[in-house]
Order: sequence, then C-alpha cells, then structure tokens
Amino acid sequence: MGPLIPNDIITGDWNFVIALLLGVAFGFILEASGFSSSRNLAGVFYGYNFVVLRVFFTAVIVAMTGLLYFDYFGWLDLSKIFILPTFVSPMILGAVIMGIGFVMGGFCPGTSFTGIAIGKMDALVFAIGLALGIFIFGETYPLFEDFFNSGSLGNVTLTDVTGIPAAWFAIAFTVIALAAFWFTATIEKKVRKNITEYKF
Amino acid sequence: MNKNYLFLTLLMLLLAVGTLFIHKDETFANQLKPEELLREITQPSRYVTTDQIAKMIIEKDPTLELIDVRPADEYNKFSLPDAVNVPLKDILTPEGQENLGIEDMYAVFYSNDDIMADQAWVISKRLGYNNIYVLKGGLNRWVETIIRPVEPPETASETEFELYQFRKAAGVYFTGGTQINDTGVKKTKVKVRRKKKAKTASGGC
Repeated sequence: MGPLIPNDIITGDWNFVIALLLGVAFGFILEASGFSSSRNLAGVFYGYNFVVLRVFFTAVIVAMTGLLYFDYFGWLDLSKIFILPTFVSPMILGAVIMGIGFVMGGFCPGTSFTGIAIGKMDALVFAIGLALGIFIFGETYPLFEDFFNSGSLGNVTLTDVTGIPAAWFAIAFTVIALAAFWFTATIEKKVRKNITEYKF
Repeated sequence: MNKNYLFLTLLMLLLAVGTLFIHKDETFANQLKPEELLREITQPSRYVTTDQIAKMIIEKDPTLELIDVRPADEYNKFSLPDAVNVPLKDILTPEGQENLGIEDMYAVFYSNDDIMADQAWVISKRLGYNNIYVLKGGLNRWVETIIRPVEPPETASETEFELYQFRKAAGVYFTGGTQINDTGVKKTKVKVRRKKKAKTASGGC
C-alpha cells in the first residue's frame, strides 16, 4: 500500500497538508514531553534529566520495529521510502556543532519553536540566533562547499553498508535503548531527591 | 518501580526480537503486481506490426531484438533474420532471460501466430521486464503481409498502395527474389483531350 504518494494512492499535492499535520503533531508531542523547557533539554548533558534520551530513543525504536512490521504486512514498501544521503565527515562535524549548540542554547531547532509557542524568551533568542546562523552559513557557503559535499556514500542504510539484516540493528538499538532507560532512571533517582514518577 | 514500565520494556523487547522471524520472500521482489499485469495485458500497445518489424530489419535497427519462442526444430527450418531462439518452455531459465531487460533494446517475441509469443510476453512482464513486445499475427501474418502481400483493390487509398509497394519491396529483400517491375498500379493510357480554341468570344464578359 504505502508509501502513499510514490504509489499514486494520493497525489503529490497532499505533501504540504501531510507536512502540516505531522508538524503540528510533532510540535504537540515535543511540548507534551517537556521539550519546551531548556532545563529539561540541557539536563541530559548535566546528568539530572534524561527525558530527551527517553523520548527520542522511544521514537527511534518504536518507528524502527514498526516499519519492519509494516513492511512485512505489506502496508509500507520499505524499498520505496526516501533515505537521506550520507556524507560521513560533514555529518560528524555537523553533529558536533549541533551538540555544542544544544548544550549552550538549551534548545534544538524544533524545540526552540515549541518554546516560543508557550512564550519562552530564551527560545525566542535561540530562534533569532538560528536564523542568523542560517543566513551566515548561506552567505559563506562557497567557502565550505567542497567539505560540505565530501565523503558521500549516497542513499545508504546500515544494512547496505554492513550487510547485516535490519532486524539485528532493530534488536541492538532496542536493547541499548531499554538498558539506557533503566540505567538513566536509577541515575535520576539518585540525583533528584524530589523526583515524581510519571503515572500512566 | 512502576510495573507498567516493566511490561512495556518486555513488550518492546519481544517486538524487536520478533523482527528476526519475519522474512519477506525476496525471490519475486521485482514481480509485477497482479492488478498492474492485468492492466498491461488489456493494452494492445505491446503489439508491433509485421511492417514495423520489416522496416526495422531492413534499416538494420540495432535496438531490435527478435526472440523466436517456437521449438528449436521449427526455428531451424525458418526464422526471421538475426532472431534468437528461446523456446517457450525455456523462458524462465537464466539463459532464456539473458536477452531480456537489456537497456535501450526492444525485445520482440514471435511465434507462428501470436499465442505463444503472448504467453512469453505475460511471463516476462510478470517478471518485471520492460521494453518487450509481441509480433502481431506472428509468422503467419509475416508471410501474408511481407512475403506474399495481397494487392489492394483499385479503389484503395494511396497509403494502402504505398504500403503494398513497401511490402513487395520488403518481400524481395527477405526472399531474395528478383525485382518485378510491376508497380501494382494499373497503367491506363492517358488520353489528352485538348479544348478547341474558341474562334469568337462566346459568352462571359
């Protein structure tokens, strides 16, 4: 059945509608997870709040195993989905810059907008800095162009590179994530005396 | 610790391990879906005419690839120029498929009529090959149109006569027969009637 647009089940005109709905849902989940607070976000670097790790790891493992099952049931053809191209060294540098920005500013690009949505001043300052950074990068792009496009591996997955079936990666990531959940929970208990456990 | 966390942890672990046991059968991954195949089967666009093929052979079109799906003994008796023999029963073997799916090549199946060629086409289409065609009418139509073309009636249009001329010339090309200088159009002596010059102004202004 899926992906819907490449399989001509719906037209490409729906792209913007779907993007808007996904964006709203994403922003809502970020806010609901407490990602509009830079204290929560930066906490993962200082070791007192691991909500970022839990939310993102949960999203990763649920989506990862979910997609494998969807593919098996024939609901989504995994060979037709878009895979982001990999540029090894530029991505490593980008991740370092992103991490530094994250720990300094207390937001990542997406969460800064959820912060603005609930009226956080620091989020607004962060978003202005973000726009400024994009502008400077855009203007100085010719200087980085060669590096920016270096180390291209094309649209590859881990399975393509290593030859190990996707299921093994799903299991490995799930085990790592679940271990991290329990490990960080015990750390949080020790560090934060007045911790309230989420009830569901 | 909340019991729900333990339950979710175990559930997630179970689901992740479960992915190891789901295997999609990749053998027929490139196969056309049944509904797409049905749509393709109902299209007459897979048929090429004997005239088109004759023209391509005469022009030595390098993109044409003729595949004879009749049994080998029939192929040895007669076949079209440069055709390869892939009997219908061998179409699924690796040797049978090595002529298909070549980039920029148009594979045309033919048999005595178009039934076996159609069968070969359906099998190949299902396997996901593109640029495959069927010679409409097969070798029977080939003989009827190219080798022994029938002269169109005198009332036929000019294009029909042109087609007949082409077929006759093509027939000569393929059979190596001698050129017959009969253009096919019945020559009738043209009688020229001249108007007699009017001696006096007769009417008009």
